[in-house]
Amino acid sequence: MLNALLPHKEISLKSIFSFEKNTFNIVMAVVTVALIVAFLVGFGNYALHGHHAYGVSKEHPWGLLISMYIFFVVSSTGLCIISSLGHVFHIKSFEFIGKRAIFGAIITIVSGFCVIGLEIGHPIRMVIYNTISPGFTSAIWGMGALYSVYLFLIIMEFIFLSRDEHKWSKFFGLGGLLIGIAAHSNLGAVFGFLVGRPLANGVFYPVYFILSAMITGCYLLFLMYGYRYKMQFTEEMEKFLMHLGRLLGLLIAILVFFEFWRFLTAIYGRVPERSDTALHVLSSKSFWFGEVLLGMAIPFFIILYSKAKAIKATIYASIGGMVGIFFMRYNLVHDTLVYPMQTMKIKEYQLAPTWVEYAPTLTEWAIALGSMGICLALYYIGENFFFLDPNKEDEYFKHYVDEE
Amino acid sequence: MKIEISRRRFLQGSVALSVVATGATVSLAQKSDNAFGNVPAYGITKTSKDGVEIPTLCEICVNKCAALARVENGVVTKLDPNPYFPKSKNMLCPRGNAGIQALYDPDRLKYPLIREGAKGSGRFKRVTWDEAYAYIAQKMVTILDEEKDNRSSFLFCAGEGIAEHTFKTFYQSFGSSNWLNHASLCLQTVTSAYSLTLGAYPFSDFENANYVIMAGANRAEAIVTPDTMDLFKRTQGRGAKLIYVDPIFTNTAAKADVWLAIKPGTDLAFVLALTYVTLEEKLYNIPYVKEHFQDFEVYQNHILGHQYTPEWAEKITGIPAKQIRTIARDFMRHAPKAIYYPGRRSTFAKSDFQLRRAMAIFQGLGGGIDTKGGLVFGKTLPLDEHEADSPMYANAQARAIRKKEDASKGEAGYADCAIVSGGGSWIGWRNRFLEGKMPYNVRGMFIYKHNPVLNMPNSAKTIEMLSKMDLVVAIDTMPSDTVMYADVVLPECTYLERTDPVKTFGGVEPAIAQRNKVIEPLFETKPVMDILKGLTQKLSKPLFEITKKHDEEVRASIEESSHEEVYAEFDLTKPFMHSQEELNAQAVAKYPGAAEILKQKGVYYPLMETMFEQRTLNEYQYYPENSKFYTVNGGRPKTASKKVECNLSTMADKGVDAMPTWKEEFAYHVPTDKFRLITGRHAQFTQSGTSNNAMLRDLIDENYIWINANVAKQKKIHFGDRIEVSSSAGKVFLKAYPTEKIGPNMVFFIHGFGSQSKGLSLAYQSGANDNAVIEDIIEPVYGASVMHETNVELRKV
Amino acid sequence: MATYAMVLDYKNCINCKACEVACKEENGVLLGANYHRIWVGVNEIQGSYPDLSIASNAFYPSQCQHCDNAPCQEVCPTNATHYDENRVVQVDASKCILCSYCMVACPYDARYVDERTMTVDKCTFCSDTRLARGLKTTACQATCPTKVRIFGDISDPKSEISEILKTREYFTLKASFGTEPKLFYLK
Repeated sequence: MLNALLPHKEISLKSIFSFEKNTFNIVMAVVTVALIVAFLVGFGNYALHGHHAYGVSKEHPWGLLISMYIFFVVSSTGLCIISSLGHVFHIKSFEFIGKRAIFGAIITIVSGFCVIGLEIGHPIRMVIYNTISPGFTSAIWGMGALYSVYLFLIIMEFIFLSRDEHKWSKFFGLGGLLIGIAAHSNLGAVFGFLVGRPLANGVFYPVYFILSAMITGCYLLFLMYGYRYKMQFTEEMEKFLMHLGRLLGLLIAILVFFEFWRFLTAIYGRVPERSDTALHVLSSKSFWFGEVLLGMAIPFFIILYSKAKAIKATIYASIGGMVGIFFMRYNLVHDTLVYPMQTMKIKEYQLAPTWVEYAPTLTEWAIALGSMGICLALYYIGENFFFLDPNKEDEYFKHYVDEE
Repeated sequence: MKIEISRRRFLQGSVALSVVATGATVSLAQKSDNAFGNVPAYGITKTSKDGVEIPTLCEICVNKCAALARVENGVVTKLDPNPYFPKSKNMLCPRGNAGIQALYDPDRLKYPLIREGAKGSGRFKRVTWDEAYAYIAQKMVTILDEEKDNRSSFLFCAGEGIAEHTFKTFYQSFGSSNWLNHASLCLQTVTSAYSLTLGAYPFSDFENANYVIMAGANRAEAIVTPDTMDLFKRTQGRGAKLIYVDPIFTNTAAKADVWLAIKPGTDLAFVLALTYVTLEEKLYNIPYVKEHFQDFEVYQNHILGHQYTPEWAEKITGIPAKQIRTIARDFMRHAPKAIYYPGRRSTFAKSDFQLRRAMAIFQGLGGGIDTKGGLVFGKTLPLDEHEADSPMYANAQARAIRKKEDASKGEAGYADCAIVSGGGSWIGWRNRFLEGKMPYNVRGMFIYKHNPVLNMPNSAKTIEMLSKMDLVVAIDTMPSDTVMYADVVLPECTYLERTDPVKTFGGVEPAIAQRNKVIEPLFETKPVMDILKGLTQKLSKPLFEITKKHDEEVRASIEESSHEEVYAEFDLTKPFMHSQEELNAQAVAKYPGAAEILKQKGVYYPLMETMFEQRTLNEYQYYPENSKFYTVNGGRPKTASKKVECNLSTMADKGVDAMPTWKEEFAYHVPTDKFRLITGRHAQFTQSGTSNNAMLRDLIDENYIWINANVAKQKKIHFGDRIEVSSSAGKVFLKAYPTEKIGPNMVFFIHGFGSQSKGLSLAYQSGANDNAVIEDIIEPVYGASVMHETNVELRKV
Repeated sequence: MATYAMVLDYKNCINCKACEVACKEENGVLLGANYHRIWVGVNEIQGSYPDLSIASNAFYPSQCQHCDNAPCQEVCPTNATHYDENRVVQVDASKCILCSYCMVACPYDARYVDERTMTVDKCTFCSDTRLARGLKTTACQATCPTKVRIFGDISDPKSEISEILKTREYFTLKASFGTEPKLFYLK
């Protein structure tokens, strides 16, 4: 029946387990299963204790889970945007990544929804009242509504890409791109609209999110194709990866430029709260080591010095890059909340509030890392069940067609 | 507390008092074994449209603010201010609001207990009232028989409360002479000093005063009504200038215009210097002094002759001489609308009595006595007092005090102090008991609403005293530290569960107020009136038999008249035969309609219906301005001579300085590496009585020790570090609070914490008990406890 | 149909915390330091002993400001946070999904999570308790020893609060954010 919708490979339990059992694959399988178990354990703990299982507090109500959600939806939008460079904007070397990238976009946003479903206190209520009692001025409403539409659109796009119906795939592709950018910058606006948080307030986050999404998309594509081709690339592949590298280099350069001016304007004039927070961020290890070194500097310099030709090195650096991206998401949430809104002592016997502290609990780690397992599992299943490479090149596809 | 359940009884739902707490915090959101039925845990309820409001008076501290208790479906859901009371002026402090948590405290005493294990072990067995009474009677009969009917072989102690007088009635008809109350811990020296100097202990008219010197009385945190409410609306440029004198920067300092960081215990030098300036520069109210001062020249010569100059005082107090001059001049310029605030909890230092006298005289120099804006006596609406018969027990010895023999040898006065007041010297009495210096055996003790183990300096000695008594009967609402050392525990119901004696409150706007019962007593608790009724019914006849046995005169009287007639005089049950409602109605009989109004509104004063009106949402008029009682004695003191008594020559016979005189030993001196310990209060607690209150502990759950920030830095002490505080009296542990608000050789922490009673599951071992380290120093005139002369050592652990 | 607001004569405040307790007793707020609808704040004192600055140690009672331009109300995805007919910012607990956006958006740290319903809670000007019974004062106002608070309808020019605002200077907290708080601190 699914066949009527889109072409797929054999969908059975047996096919899931039939993979080449080399060391790397086995390790990946074990890791994925372990992470999913961790997710379930975390989920169980949350079911028992509710929000007490988390380390969030009154002053810091958003934590690791929100960061993880943002991490996933940023990845999703990024993959969507980069993929649209191919089959919406017809940049030749990006054309063939269409299905894989969009599939990646689907599974990352689904993983994101899994995480946020455990963070929102009343998810079912959300679905009901977002519909019948919508707060149109709320960026979270906008983001929620738009991401739901976006998910629908990219599923449609994937289906039509799989069916090779390019008029429709382009239609949904463009729609998905536009709605995706709208949804994603709305997510940035969740922070950008915060009147009471001087460092977050303003134009930076909505714009930065799109930029960061594209960077994340690039890193993910490096990882996906590095793994797909086991580091042995055809000429066409190499050309794509080089172009991808150049794109990535350019985007990182733009990001560095953005961040530089963002911090300089925040510090300049020493406006209280805004500059205090900015200086606090700039003095933190996670910013320099995570965001700057892993997320921007190492990949950038590899690309710069090799003129984007050191593809293997770039792929390895993308692992660090994704870690850096994770730090960017976590820091984004934490930096917004780190300056207390109320700085007075409300009891005699306390220290005056300084920086708001937060540390995720084991449950939060379990759910956050576990959701990566879900993403990996879904990717693996997709690889197994669907044709993620261009049909005309896919040996499996040919095999499948032949069998018909 | 482990309790055995008497087979005949069970309590619906829960069976026992809370099991011994491990010291872990209770989860406040959960319903602990809820013996209160449909009341949520700790009485946290939301009010609704239903319900009735019953006027009552708060009992958590001495102020007795008028409250309206809201009862919905038998549950007290809120305590609101009752606007009718001029003294409390339509407010309730945090404790007043938290009375609900005292009512619904799971740890409260619920039924009579008799000790089973060792004293202090907390092992009691639950008994019926009859069993408890029988036990007490049996023990008392035995003891009195052995002591040959010396009624003074029983000590009676009480804390402050509206029903204290009810308990005292029992003491009086019982015939003992040994009465101790909290006066010597609290306000003895100030009330006595002002009474001797000005004729009475006055109020302060803070509504109209323009200049106030307040020393040590931290009115923003140790709330006294209406002083606190009147003063802090007018300081800091809004009509009254407040000079606040205190070694530490309290919340009152934050509300003051000037804060003077005086060296602890040196206030006398400050006042003497102010007096010096006033006399030297002739700033005083000359006609007033001429007419209303006794021995003015003597005093003037005394002050000027001793050269109590501001420069001299600066060295002793640390207050700049220039400032002392300015203050004296400003005070006298504003006088008579200037007040040197008398204070209440006194005895900071041994010089306290002389200090308060000097303050009273200084006030007099400005003429601000019995006048608007100054110290006022106010009027008190009289009630019909019912005097209980005090029968004559021939064998009852006098109060256990030893008089010093030879005045010429300087041995005037008594062993503890120069003068024995009604409330006695608690520490003096206790210490002599422990030293075996009692003139006769004192074997038993009745304690009502009093927690000497925690509130008297040197807790270890108090515990020793309780352990040595053969019979300790405690009447209380909570299993306090003192209750843990009792032999018999009789549970009183909280103030919300009883109607108490109507009381009259004097002042510029006098009123009569009454506590009305809000809900029926819970569990098996009873008001002290009913407890004593039941107890005396069991005691009266058996004790009379003992009297007959040992008292010749009684036997003779019986022969002359009859057994019934004589017994009628010794009948202990008599004072408790009428209900409190009846007694209250009788007390206000002379005010037509008052009894009914007191039941409906809780407050009464003549012409209330016409004079009381609401002015704004928050404020009410009680008496129109021209009906207030600012001047009741023609602007004169209430002494017999109608003059300010500067020179108390009769005191000299007792070895007390007739006029305030500075002595070298009064100087502030702290040995190196030691710290002077100062104690005090925050507005959220009343001494140790509220230590288990879940709502108030929400605000502060343990006390911290204030250490000067620089000293803390040197000693590498950070906020929250555990500190051992030790003195010759004992040692305690609590957390550090480094702050700039205290001087380098002092430390401070509030009183009321550090309970060792396992029955108080929230208060148990929370914070530290200051009286475990405060040494039992007493001042020489009344034997009052000196609270701020102990030096302690600190150690970070 | 009113516009409820509150004036605070904050210089009267003695930091006794009667208001905090009265609020919890009236509205059934859970015990616990994190569940405060209202509080009194003080800054760490400036200076060093004994030269301390009295002015730096002023007490500031605070709570939800019931802003006329409330950011919390703007950011709520389900309109759980809304204005009632008296311009009081209320939270409809049945619609709250606990996304916590309002807690992040509030510049005044006024909101917390009520554990019993797992929804966001805050000061409601005693709307469903005292005001519902026809009383004209909030719990925090009524209990205060020094009568710091005056609650009332600023859309009624004859009300007590309106008279005060016409005759006394006042400031609001974090005014530069444009939230238009309705808690006015008298200078």
